[in-house]
Amino acid sequence: MSVIYADNNATTPVAPEVCEAMRPFLTDEYFNPSSMYEPARRTAEAINAAREQIAGFFSLDEPKQILFTSCATESNNAAIFGVAKANPARRHVITTAVEHPAVLEVCKDLQRNGYDVTFLGVDSDGNLDAGEFVRALRPDTLLVTVMHANNETGVVFPIEQLARLTKETDPAIIFHTDATQSVGKLPIDLQGNFQHVDLLSFSGHKLHAPKGIGALYIKRGTPCRPFLIGGHQEGGRRGGTENVPYIIGLAKALELAAANHEDEVAQLASMRDRLQQTLEERIPCVRINGGGAPRLPNTLNISSHYIEGEGMLYQLSEHGICASSGSACTSGSLEPSHVLRALNVPFTAVHGSVRFSFSRYNTEADVDQIIDVFPRIVANLRRLSPYWDNQNNAPRPDADQLVGETH
Amino acid sequence: MAWEYSEKTKQLFMDAVHGKPGTHMGEIEDPDGLGEHGSISCGDALRFTFRVKRHPEDPTKDVITTARYLTFGCTSAIAASEALCALIEQGHHTPIGALEIRNEDIVDYLDGLPEQKIHCSVMGAEALEAAVFNWAKRRGVDVSLLGLDVSAEEQEEGRLVCKCFSLSETYIKRKIKELDLRSIPDITNAIKAGGACMSCHHTPGGLQDLLDEVRGRDGNGAELKILHQVDVPGTESQPRSQTDTQQRSALSPYQFGKQVERAIEENVRPMLQRDGGDMEIVDIKDTLIYCRLGGSCEGCAGAGKTLKMLVERTLKDRVDERIRVIQI
Repeated sequence: MSVIYADNNATTPVAPEVCEAMRPFLTDEYFNPSSMYEPARRTAEAINAAREQIAGFFSLDEPKQILFTSCATESNNAAIFGVAKANPARRHVITTAVEHPAVLEVCKDLQRNGYDVTFLGVDSDGNLDAGEFVRALRPDTLLVTVMHANNETGVVFPIEQLARLTKETDPAIIFHTDATQSVGKLPIDLQGNFQHVDLLSFSGHKLHAPKGIGALYIKRGTPCRPFLIGGHQEGGRRGGTENVPYIIGLAKALELAAANHEDEVAQLASMRDRLQQTLEERIPCVRINGGGAPRLPNTLNISSHYIEGEGMLYQLSEHGICASSGSACTSGSLEPSHVLRALNVPFTAVHGSVRFSFSRYNTEADVDQIIDVFPRIVANLRRLSPYWDNQNNAPRPDADQLVGETH
Repeated sequence: MAWEYSEKTKQLFMDAVHGKPGTHMGEIEDPDGLGEHGSISCGDALRFTFRVKRHPEDPTKDVITTARYLTFGCTSAIAASEALCALIEQGHHTPIGALEIRNEDIVDYLDGLPEQKIHCSVMGAEALEAAVFNWAKRRGVDVSLLGLDVSAEEQEEGRLVCKCFSLSETYIKRKIKELDLRSIPDITNAIKAGGACMSCHHTPGGLQDLLDEVRGRDGNGAELKILHQVDVPGTESQPRSQTDTQQRSALSPYQFGKQVERAIEENVRPMLQRDGGDMEIVDIKDTLIYCRLGGSCEGCAGAGKTLKMLVERTLKDRVDERIRVIQI
């Protein structure tokens, strides 16, 4: 059975061009870039070229502001802990309730260590309130860390505006954004629309580079102490022998993203929109999570009321379709996704979410297949649901009362 | 987390969703026994019904002939419901005899369940028990014959506050004290209460009330925002409408806000409205004024300039030279 991969917000396949670019550095060009002999110098130059290219992708003229890490989680840790270490006098951090755990849990760790953390909520579409954001800024605010695009819903936060408000309020407040889901999908110009951003994290495997490579942009002059201490690599800001092939791969992946950017975004948006529209037409009682907010072009998070997501994923996988869900049963805990709960998704729908996320390697045929299969999967489970009236294909008239009952 | 289901579990689930003959999906109309367990907010819920072949004289000798379920839940919850019905029908049990079926039997029937899915089998056993109680009531059978510890059911530790995770008032209050929980998110993080449907947060007798009760209404001071005294030197910052005999060294945040408000009402808003525009103050922090422009100003290319030239200049002149206006 062929696989339809619609879980690209989880990870993406490595682009063949990226594989090709990396290959020499896994074989012949194996030298440690810190070594003195001639072949090692070539390796070091390859890294420099990659760094320059990545800096160029973000319109930066100083490549040293790009730091290579092992993943976005490391970048986020390095950014948040690094800033905290550099300015111990300030003890307040602002973040949102819908961050990825790589930010949320780091903030909670600061909280356990005596920091005051504001977790900004979102409305039912997933939007932040700029007024609430402004009110959260304080004289002792150290850091604002707000994601660019949400991994579950695809909702995009107005980083441009939030960073500007932060800097206009107090230029000493550091602004960090986790752009793991948006790099390559949304325009990011660190001299232009993102000029007020001090720190930006992302990783390679969300944009067709391999897992195990991430990057952190640190604007020149930003007080941020090293997180991984060791050798003099990365200007002493991140120890550890450079992951040469993966750095080359990351640069190649960004080059590909830039080359096809507009076509790709149009293709992704058209597939996603068609899927959303058709599913909304064919399945009663669904909710598009984040549908009312600006969103990534590739992400559809759809909840079907009165059924549970894990059983949907299982049936999808029986058809070779890979997707994910925010239901409690897929999270390993008893609670459904913290993102959907922050959106106040009704509890009749919070367990029934499925996320489809596309990449440039998806085709309209993939969308057709999902459209063919998914409505039946929903119907299958609704036939079993105690809250569904199968004769009328609608919630039972007494569903509201039934869901109120417990045990 | 990938699936770790047994082949049996997967098979039962797929048979059920495809409505294969021999599966037990459905609901018996006017059943002899009906039991429910779980809730949609917990992530799984089961409605279980059965029909008996009635014994003409002794209801305790009724035999269950048909068992049906409707389940909201994951793959294993649905498979466990199938297992429950199959076990009951195959055993030709009396309702009282059916109580012998424990959740372990359901797990065995499924060739095992992943640890974090054991609650699916518990749900089956609980719904069965509830249905047998229901049958006993309908048939006039003395529940004490069922060999169940009925009192355990009744010995609830006080009123249920978080219904999703079945947590009582007594328990939550004890934990607020023991774990020094200061807010609803604290409670949710610590003991999960209020973490699913969230309906118990602010209802009377809900989590906020329990917090207030245990900690005192302003016990944690979390709601109190610290405002900074705005230190405005008396001389040039005096509003021009006031006489200069009145010398003040500082304005309280309230007075400062009032003056900003008044300057806007008197000098700024009328001018904006003349062009179909409007503005609102979103927040004031010290001498930073956060504004949102509305009406025809919204999206206007000259909006930033308007704010600086008109709003900021006016406020600097009338209230305090240090004022800066920031556009939201």
